[in-house]
Amino acid sequence: MTASSPMPRRAFLGALGAGATMLGIGACSSSGDDSGNSGGDPNAAQTIEWWHIQNTPPMLPVWQELADQYTAQHSNVKINITPIENEAFKARLTTVTQSGDAPDIFQTWGGGVLKQQVEAGLAKELTGDLASIKDSLVSTGVQPYEWDGKVYGVPYDIGMVGFWYNKKHFATAGISAPPATWTEFLDAVRKLKGAGITPISLAGGAKWPGHYYWTYLSMRLLGPDGLKKAAADKKFDSPEFIQAGRHLKELVDLQPFQNGFLGAPFDTPDGEAAVMGNGQAAMELQGQWAPAVQKEQSGKDLGADLDWFSFPAVDGGKGKVTDTMGGGGGFAVGKDAPPAAIDFLKFLVTADNQRKAVATGSVLPITKGAEDAIQDARQKKVADAVSKSTGFQLYLDQDYPPSVGQTVNDSVAQLIAGAMSPEDVAKAVTEAAQNA
Amino acid sequence: MKALPSGPVRPGGTRAVARNTVLYLIVLVVGLFVVVPIGYGVLGGFKNNGQLSNNPFGLPDPWIFSNYTDILGSVTFWRPLWNSTVIALATTLLCVGVAAMAGFIFARFAFRGRELLFMLFTVGLMFPFAVAILPLFVLLREFGLLNNPLGVVLPQAAFGLPVTIIILRSFFRAIPSEIEEAATMDGCTPFGFFWRILLPMARPALATVSVLAIVTSWNNFMLPLVVFNDPTQWTIPVAVSQFNSQYSQDTAKVLAYVVLAMVPALALYAVAERQLVGGLASGATKG
Amino acid sequence: MTRSAVDEAKPARAREVPEPPADSTGRRRFRTDLVTIVLFLLPALVLFGLLVLAPILLASYTSLFKWNGLGGPPEDFIGLDNFTRLFSDKVFLGDLQHAAILIALTVVFQLPFALAIALLLCQRIRGRMAFRLLFFAPYVLSEVIAGVLFAMVFSPNRGLANHLFGLVGLEDLATNWLADPAVVLYSLFFVITWKYFGFHMILYVAARQAIPDEIIEAATIDGASPWETFRYVTLPLLGPTIRISIFLAVIGTIQLFDLVWVLTRGGPIHASETMAVTMFDFGFVRSQVGYGSAISVVMFMISFVFALFYQRFVMRRDIEGAVTGMRDRR
Repeated sequence: MTASSPMPRRAFLGALGAGATMLGIGACSSSGDDSGNSGGDPNAAQTIEWWHIQNTPPMLPVWQELADQYTAQHSNVKINITPIENEAFKARLTTVTQSGDAPDIFQTWGGGVLKQQVEAGLAKELTGDLASIKDSLVSTGVQPYEWDGKVYGVPYDIGMVGFWYNKKHFATAGISAPPATWTEFLDAVRKLKGAGITPISLAGGAKWPGHYYWTYLSMRLLGPDGLKKAAADKKFDSPEFIQAGRHLKELVDLQPFQNGFLGAPFDTPDGEAAVMGNGQAAMELQGQWAPAVQKEQSGKDLGADLDWFSFPAVDGGKGKVTDTMGGGGGFAVGKDAPPAAIDFLKFLVTADNQRKAVATGSVLPITKGAEDAIQDARQKKVADAVSKSTGFQLYLDQDYPPSVGQTVNDSVAQLIAGAMSPEDVAKAVTEAAQNA
Repeated sequence: MKALPSGPVRPGGTRAVARNTVLYLIVLVVGLFVVVPIGYGVLGGFKNNGQLSNNPFGLPDPWIFSNYTDILGSVTFWRPLWNSTVIALATTLLCVGVAAMAGFIFARFAFRGRELLFMLFTVGLMFPFAVAILPLFVLLREFGLLNNPLGVVLPQAAFGLPVTIIILRSFFRAIPSEIEEAATMDGCTPFGFFWRILLPMARPALATVSVLAIVTSWNNFMLPLVVFNDPTQWTIPVAVSQFNSQYSQDTAKVLAYVVLAMVPALALYAVAERQLVGGLASGATKG
Repeated sequence: MTRSAVDEAKPARAREVPEPPADSTGRRRFRTDLVTIVLFLLPALVLFGLLVLAPILLASYTSLFKWNGLGGPPEDFIGLDNFTRLFSDKVFLGDLQHAAILIALTVVFQLPFALAIALLLCQRIRGRMAFRLLFFAPYVLSEVIAGVLFAMVFSPNRGLANHLFGLVGLEDLATNWLADPAVVLYSLFFVITWKYFGFHMILYVAARQAIPDEIIEAATIDGASPWETFRYVTLPLLGPTIRISIFLAVIGTIQLFDLVWVLTRGGPIHASETMAVTMFDFGFVRSQVGYGSAISVVMFMISFVFALFYQRFVMRRDIEGAVTGMRDRR
C-alpha cells in the first residue's frame, strides 16, 4: 500500500489471476490425464478411474485384490477405485450423465439407463473389443448390455429376484411349503400375521424394491413378451397392469410390512436387509445379493434358516412361474477411458477371477465354467432358476429410460403407501412412457 | 455485540430471585435442546455401534478412539477440508474484490442509471440459489466448467455479490466526503483513493463480508454436489453426505466424521463471531 | 448470502433524492470519470449477469421445451405444457402445501420462540453472552451436517429421540420420525428450528439493543405492566426486524433443499418434498430438464412476487417510518 496506485492494482488483479490459474491447473490434473491417453498406446502409462457399488465386504476386498493383481502385472497402469453406495451412486451418475464426463469404468445394469448414457455420449461401444470373450459369457447376462447388435457393457453378475424367506418363521406360522400361487402367498402372509410375525421386510424409502412386486405381478399376468410389447407400445394401462396393481393392493391391505417401512432404506442398519437379517421379518423380495447384504447390515447370519422361492404364479395369467425378472451388475466404459480399461474388464470376468467374486456369495457367475464356485445351496437354486428361465425381464427401473423407470418406482411406492390407485399407477407410467 | 444492560430489573427481593431462577431454567432447557444433538454426536463418535444402541446417553464405556483417529489419519477427511478451504478463499477473494469495486462506484459516484443498476443487484437477493441450479448447471457445462473448481467459485462469488455490495456500499457511504476531498487535493486518482484510503478504512466491513462469504461458501452443498463428479474434488458438505451413505452401517463412524466436519466452521465462528453476527444483523436490517 | 438485506432496494431509492450538497464539489471530478465507473463496475456486472441473471433467463427458455438435457440444445418446443402439467402434478401441489405448512409453523412457533429467547437474553442473566453464542452456533453449521446428525437422532432403532422418550417413560410416543408421512414434516420443522432459531434470535437481540432503554424505562415509570411494555412499546419497535425475519424465513423455506435431501430425499412418498427437491429430481435424476426448469421458473416467480408484495404492502411502513425514525434517534 506504499506504491503509487496503478501498481498495487496490477498486483491485485495479478493475484486474482494467479488464483484462478492455480485452480485451473488443479482442475486439469484431475480430469486431464484420462483424455490424453484415450485410444492410445496400451503400454503407455495410464490411470483407470473405476467406480463400483460394492462399498462393503464381501465384494469390496475382492475388487481391490483383483485391481492390485492387474496393476502388479501391468506396471504402466494405475487404478483409482471409488466405491460408492448403491443409492448414492445412482444419484451421482445422473449428474455424471448430464455432465457428459464419465469415469473410465462404472457400474451399470444395462437397459434403458445405459442406453441413455450411450446416447449422451458417455459410454463407449465395446462390440469389437469384447468379441473375443463374448462366447465365454452367459448370453442372458449379456442381453441387457446389447442392442442393435452392439455391446456397451461387460456384466460380472447375473441373477434374479425372488423371495428370500426365513424357514423358522414359516414353520412357526404353520406354513409347510413355500407358496406356489399368489392366493397361497396371501394366505401365508395372513398366517404369519396371525403368528405375530412381520411377514415382509420392504425398503419403501428406496422405492426400487417395491417395484419388483408390480413388475412380477404384471409379468405373471402378461407374460414376458406381453410386458415387452407394452414397453414398445408405451401402453401400460391395459387391464392386466391394473389387475397387477390390484393384486399388489390385496397384499398391501394385509399390512404385511415392517413398522416404518415407508421410509426404510435398503442397506442401512435400519433398512430392509437388516430387518431380514435380524430375523424381524419372514421374507423379502430381492435379488441374488440379498444374503450378503443381510449379513453385512445386521451383523448376523440367518444361516440354514434362510431359503429361497420363486415369485408365485398368478391365477389366469399368461406368464409362467419360470419367467424371471432380474439382472446383474455390469461395467460400462467411459468414452475417454484408456485402452487398459477394457483389458482390465476382460481380466475381471475370466473364469478364475469370476470364481473369486462368486465365492463371496453375493454375485452369481456370468462366465461359463465358474458355476462350480457357487458354494451356497440357495444361490445354486437362484442360478438354476436363471439358467432354466423361460423368459427374462430386466428390472424395469433399469430397462426403461430414467424418466419412465423412476416413474414406475415412484408410482408403485405410492400404491404401496395407499396414495395411488392401481389405475393411477397405470396412467402415470403410460404418461411417462409417452412423454419420454 | 456489546450488550447494553436492559430490561426493568429491580435489584434485590425474593420475587426477582425467583423470576431469575425461572428465566435461567428456561435458558438452560433451550441450551440442552441445542447441545444434546451435538453432544450425542461427539460422544457417539467415541462409542461403537453396540454401545450406541444400548447406551445412547451415557459416557462411552470403554472410550473408543479409533473412529476419530481413523478419520483424522485418512485422506477422506483432509482432502475435502483442503478443497473447501481453497474454494472458500477463492470465492471470498473474488466476491469481495469485485463487490468492493462496485460498491465504491455505487457509494461515491453519481451517474445516470446508478440506482437502476444497484436495484438489479439487490433483486439478486430474491433469487434463492436453488432456483438457478439447473440452468446454472447447463451454463457451466457449456463453459466447460464442470469438474472444475472455478465452476463452483465463480457462481458462488456471483451469488454473493448482492449482499456484499449492499453492506460495503453503505459502509463506503458513511466515510465522510472531507476525506475524499482531501485525497483529491493531494492528487489522488479515484483508484488511489479506493485502494489506499477507502479499503484500509473499510477493513471492519471487509472482514464482515469476507466472513459471510467464507461461511456461505463453506456450507454450500448443491453446487459442488452437481459440479464435482470426481471424489477428489469434493468439498466438506458433499463428502459428509457421501460418507454418510458409504458407511451407513457404521453409525458411530459417521457421527465421528460429522463431528470432525463441524470443527472448522465452529472454529471460524469462535474466531470471527463478531464479524459474522454483525454482518448478518446489518445485512438483514441495514435500510 | 441470499437470506439478508432484502429490503435494500427501497431505502436506497429513497436515499438517492436528498444527495448531500457537501459532496458535490469534491466529487465533480470523479463523477465525469466514465472510464473509472465502467472499469470498476464491469467485473461485477459480468459475473452477476452471466451467472445470476442469465440462468434465470435460460430456465425461462428451456422451460418451454421437452428436453432431457443431454446432447444438443432443446428442440422439442411445447409451449406452456410443462407449466400446465406442473399445476396438475400432485407432487408439486404437495410441495406448495408443505411450504405453506412450514412457513406457518415458522411464523407461529419458531419466530415467537426466537423472540422470547432474544428478550430473555437481553435481561440481566449470568452468562447471557455465552448462551447467545451457543444458540447461534447451529446456524454456522452446514445443513448437510445438521441433516446427517439428525438422521441419526431420529433413527428408529439406534436413534436418540426414541431412546429419550423411553427414558422418561413415554415409549408410546416413540415413532418413525422420518418414515411416517404424517409426522415427517414436523420432524423436519424441528430440525429447521434447531438450525435457524438462533439466527432469528440474533436479529431480534440486535434490534432490541437498538431500542434506547429510556423508552422502556419511561413506559415502566408510567405504570405499564411488563406485558403492556412489551405489547405497546417493545413489540412495535421490533416490528421492522420481525417483518424482515419473516421475509427471510419465507424465502429460505421456498428454496429449502440441502436439509431435506440429506434427511429424507423428500420421502416417504413425497411427504416432506419441497419444490427444490422436486426440481432436482426431475432435472438431474429423471432427465427431464425442461420440466425441472419450469419448476425453477415457478420458484423464482413465487419468490419474486412474494418479495414485491411483501415490500410493497408489509415493509413499506418500515422503510418510510420506523427504521429511518429509529436511525435518526440513534
